[in-house]
Amino acid sequence: MPKQRAQGSRRVWVPAAFLGLFAMVLVARLVQLQVLDHARYAEAAQQELLGKDVVYARRGSILDRNGNVLATSVNTWDVYVNSRTWKDAGRSQKAANVLGAAIKLDPGVLRASVLASDAVDVLIRRDVDFETGNALIKQDLEGVILLPNTNRVNPEGDVAASVLGFIGLDNTGLAGIEAAYNDMLQGEPGKAIYERDTTGDPIPFGQHTVQPPKPGKDVVLTIDRFIQEMAEQRLATAMKEHRAKGGAIIVMAPATGEILALATSPGLKFSNLNFDDPSQLELLKNVAVSNVYEPGSVMKILTAAAAIDAGAVTPDTSYVDNGIAYIYGIPIKNWDDSVYGPQTMTEVLQNSINTGAIFMMQQLEAIRPGGFQKYLDAFGIGRPTGIDFQGEAEGIVRRPTDSDWSPVDLATQAFGQSISVTPIQLMAAVGAAINGGNLVKPHLVRALVDQQGNRTEVKPEIVGRAISGQTSATVRQMLHQVVESPGRFHPGNPREYSAGGKSGTANVPVPNGYDQTQIASFIGFAPLDNPQILVLVKLDNNDDFLTGTVAAGPVFSKLADDILRYMNIRPDGSKYVSRP
Amino acid sequence: MAALNHPLGHPRRLPLPSPIGKPNWWVLSAVAIAGLSAMLPVLQNSAATSRGFDIQDSQATQARLNGEISLLESDVARLTSLSRIDRRAKEIGLGPSDHPIYITVDEAGPQPAKIPSEYLPPVVPKTDAPASPWRSLIDWLSLTD
Repeated sequence: MPKQRAQGSRRVWVPAAFLGLFAMVLVARLVQLQVLDHARYAEAAQQELLGKDVVYARRGSILDRNGNVLATSVNTWDVYVNSRTWKDAGRSQKAANVLGAAIKLDPGVLRASVLASDAVDVLIRRDVDFETGNALIKQDLEGVILLPNTNRVNPEGDVAASVLGFIGLDNTGLAGIEAAYNDMLQGEPGKAIYERDTTGDPIPFGQHTVQPPKPGKDVVLTIDRFIQEMAEQRLATAMKEHRAKGGAIIVMAPATGEILALATSPGLKFSNLNFDDPSQLELLKNVAVSNVYEPGSVMKILTAAAAIDAGAVTPDTSYVDNGIAYIYGIPIKNWDDSVYGPQTMTEVLQNSINTGAIFMMQQLEAIRPGGFQKYLDAFGIGRPTGIDFQGEAEGIVRRPTDSDWSPVDLATQAFGQSISVTPIQLMAAVGAAINGGNLVKPHLVRALVDQQGNRTEVKPEIVGRAISGQTSATVRQMLHQVVESPGRFHPGNPREYSAGGKSGTANVPVPNGYDQTQIASFIGFAPLDNPQILVLVKLDNNDDFLTGTVAAGPVFSKLADDILRYMNIRPDGSKYVSRP
Repeated sequence: MAALNHPLGHPRRLPLPSPIGKPNWWVLSAVAIAGLSAMLPVLQNSAATSRGFDIQDSQATQARLNGEISLLESDVARLTSLSRIDRRAKEIGLGPSDHPIYITVDEAGPQPAKIPSEYLPPVVPKTDAPASPWRSLIDWLSLTD
């Protein structure tokens, strides 16, 4: 019997084709949803079910050299409210009342702001204090979520604010040490996840930390809070007295490069921080590190050190000052238009004679052409010191290869014009001149301490050797005779301690010349034989137009007495009582 | 060939029903094992959940204590700040010295101030948790490399 085969007919094939096509569309859509777009939908589903937040690590503290806290973090809470939960007035009223009372916000305003927001979790207040937050957690309020955060506090107020800097909302350092050592201080943030129910309400016990934060390290500064506060107060007083627009006082240990105080004005103040005011953005930089100026006669220290080290002159080498020196036909006068006659090199420093500085430079160039600028290089002039602080300027040294070079520049550089330095650069250079000849890198951080108490010391770094130890001792003696010589009173001579120093009074350069404003400064060290401190006092645009010796010298002498006494260094010639 | 319509070998004898009152230990054992097997995940989950809550509770306590430590550190820093020392010194009639007279003493000086991390309890070295019986069994059987 022949086998019967089903005959295809339109009634069978059309629905079959239609159903097959429909099945294929379904399969394609499934593939798209579950394979191609899997990650996107999975993430969307997770976002619907899980709330995710960064848990900031406790930021390390910043301490002064003796372990006193200058900046530390306290635990706080960021308060969020789940807007979906609060849509139900009955459920949210009690929570709004309690939360409003805790954070001092009207419950009606609070509820209205939550309901007006498009976000699911609405941020109500950052950095609610720790105890208030704990009390809110205990009350288990409807829709209220508290996430841990930290807040920066400065127990010493505005002391060292320009050094410390500040942090942003995301706990990242934006200025100062907070920015320069952000990686050390910040630690590693963790991650918290909390589950939500279908209404978006957090599920009880559904919050957990999936990645615990790793606390940051403590940073121990070289700054001494007492010396820092003293320097800031003295700077403010001197600026007021001499009607100066700005200034700086830097105190450094010349042998190690440790900065003991760094007071600047204008400078940051935590008590008056307002970045809506554009002029305050200037405060993000530290003027002692980022701003350059012509040092004026302070530069004669380096000129003398270079000429003596090269063997071109000795402290007793003499020349005759005519009050004017002609360099390539251009007359260069002394700062006070005086004529001093026969002068030794020590007297050149005592009287701050420009022609004497030019003489020293010329003697050096005569035996070693190009030697003067090589010594400037050895003193680190014209390049960043490498201080552990952001935004350091490198200074300006005009060189023979520069297009705007003039042969007169070498002469003017010898007494601190046609050359620009940062205050910190000058400290490093003069430090090398008096500390035995070592160019030491200035630094602000003394040690790093992790949360287990392991301490990593930051060792002083000698960058190079500028002059010999013998030359350095000679320069110290010459500078001592600047502030202390028979029959002369010098305002920069400390009462209790032997010291040395040099003043500088420089006009401020403008295009094609100098304007009428000036910078008065004094740099000095004490005690004489084993300098423990090197202090730069700089007053910008002092309206009384007093010289560096008169305006800045007394600030140095008083500071040196007070700082060395605080450092427990026995004053020269003081009474010393010993137990029998 | 016609198939033989009887089983190969000896015919199996069916056991006689047990008399009432005598338990079938095989059946009872099977039921017990099945019951225990069903209970084990429940017990395990219950224990894990309970331990999880304990851990969360401990974490919350730890976080609270850490927060309190940081607050106390901040209080110590505030109470030892220069401005407060200065104020207190003035209150008790102290002022800046002028001409110091230096003396030598045999006593040791004050201890340097503690840094915040030194207030924390000493770190206890971690000890490895004992291996689970399953891990020991797997290791013993050398099922893993």
